[in-house]
Amino acid sequence: MHKIEISAEIDLLSENKRLAEKNREFLAKNGIRAINIMGAIGSGKTLLIEKTVDSLREYKFGVILGDVICRADYERVKKHDVKVEPINTGKECHLDAHLISHVIEGFDDVDVILIENVGNLVCPVDFDLGEDFRVVMVSVTEGDDVVEKHPEIFRLADVIIINKISLADAVEADVEKMVRDAKRVNGRALILKTDLKKDIGFDEWLDFVRRVVQK
Amino acid sequence: MACLILKHFVHEMSFASVIVENALRVAEENGAKKVKSVTVVVGELLLINPDQLEFCYQVASQGTILENSRIEIEVAKADISCVNCGKKYSQPIYLCEDCGGFVSVKGGKEMILKKIEIENRDGG
Repeated sequence: MHKIEISAEIDLLSENKRLAEKNREFLAKNGIRAINIMGAIGSGKTLLIEKTVDSLREYKFGVILGDVICRADYERVKKHDVKVEPINTGKECHLDAHLISHVIEGFDDVDVILIENVGNLVCPVDFDLGEDFRVVMVSVTEGDDVVEKHPEIFRLADVIIINKISLADAVEADVEKMVRDAKRVNGRALILKTDLKKDIGFDEWLDFVRRVVQK
Repeated sequence: MACLILKHFVHEMSFASVIVENALRVAEENGAKKVKSVTVVVGELLLINPDQLEFCYQVASQGTILENSRIEIEVAKADISCVNCGKKYSQPIYLCEDCGGFVSVKGGKEMILKKIEIENRDGG
């Protein structure tokens, strides 16, 4: 019996990167914009998707819902007369480029794909899906230190949404501190203060979607 | 609480599965009978907990020739520099301590299967 040391030097994240690029090529070829929406559980991701597809009827949307078990969200979004595919991730805490690739093949006729990632602020960070834009959504009810506690996901975001701002006083959250923290880790992101249930800040979000889809 | 633990736990599990899958392929290509150890380089910005990764590796390798092998985890330091003043950091940092400028991240997010140590088939 011989003991042998074998040098491998394999980049273990390269497979996801390769598939993400493939997704990106597919999206570009078909003129589709993809938006990856990440955020904590209960931050308002599903409501953002529901309101967006209702408000922008001029575009054809495809919606991908990722969750450990996403039947409930699927039933919610399906009612909005839009193409929707659930991805049950089971034990996985994030979507990856491979999971997305199968679904987008059936979405080749849409203008925009909204992807709801699995609800948490840690795991989805390192998995590029091939999206054009990354949105991170949090709410004041998660505590006004949520941004400074998860800098990496905010650092890489194109849009940062701070939701449920009408509840800030009730939960003693300082919205301006959250905005300051977001600006400190990411100087280029668009930062929106919203309360989706009261339509606060929602028009600015719609402006963003219109702007990037028409590009 | 259990839910929180599970969420972070499965993050390591998906990385462990990729390590096992690739290490098995390399082992088989080299005619291994048994794998003694696997060495991986993990960038510290991946926010991987080495103890959890080790535990997940043990679970994911069960029933394969990797079972009971050792996983050596080498942590790769972050390679971060301030876009404003150029100061370099090897610690995870999100704002320059000197000038408060934004930073760009060049290294610390990699995961590399560096080497494996195997016992090969008799005479091999």
